[in-house]
Amino acid sequence: MLKWIGAVVVLLILAVVIGLSVMAGSLRGAYGMVRYAFPHMHRGTLRVGDDAPDASLLALDGNSRFHIRERTGARPLVIVFGSYT
Amino acid sequence: MQIYKDYKDHADFLTVYVREAHPTDEWQMNSNVKEDVCYAQPKTLEQRVAIANDFVRRFNYPTQFGIDDMSNAANDAYAAWPERIYIIDEKGRIAYRGGMGPFNYHPEEARAWLASRYGEVKREASTAVLDKKNN
Repeated sequence: MLKWIGAVVVLLILAVVIGLSVMAGSLRGAYGMVRYAFPHMHRGTLRVGDDAPDASLLALDGNSRFHIRERTGARPLVIVFGSYT
Repeated sequence: MQIYKDYKDHADFLTVYVREAHPTDEWQMNSNVKEDVCYAQPKTLEQRVAIANDFVRRFNYPTQFGIDDMSNAANDAYAAWPERIYIIDEKGRIAYRGGMGPFNYHPEEARAWLASRYGEVKREASTAVLDKKNN
């Protein structure tokens, strides 16, 4: 019985590794995904109709700041979050 | 950024730079090496500002731009990483919540929201580089 449970566990681990490698493009990519991406990926709790959270942002000049809330009110605000890489 | 071009007369656009998704010292992608987009994960706000400015200059990026603090306050509030789109309505409420990128990042959904309000708008296509970066 223990042998069967062990075999199933090994097969499950293999399936996860292969699945992640396919998603990430390589075994190294799978490691990167687990090590660096998963800890920062969150579904979040915001829902349509919720008050939009505010946050202070730094402008491109590196000195001045503004709040997201300052840019809302007159028209809809489309916010695109992302990075360069 | 075609959606901006098409709807800038109806809505405001704000791009927020958050922590890097594929820096050289974490999970670097081959595509970034090919496109010469190689940066280590910023450890200071000054480094974030420098990368954000590189991005804006390279793509002649047209929207308002903000940079998240090293505390990642905006990122945490919006569960933004690695990429995500929201639309906030005039009352300050979430009107559209996009999925988490890259697999559920669908700018066409934000476009559909804008189209439902303002109708289909299609101006002259922007450059291929901009379209590639952000539909």
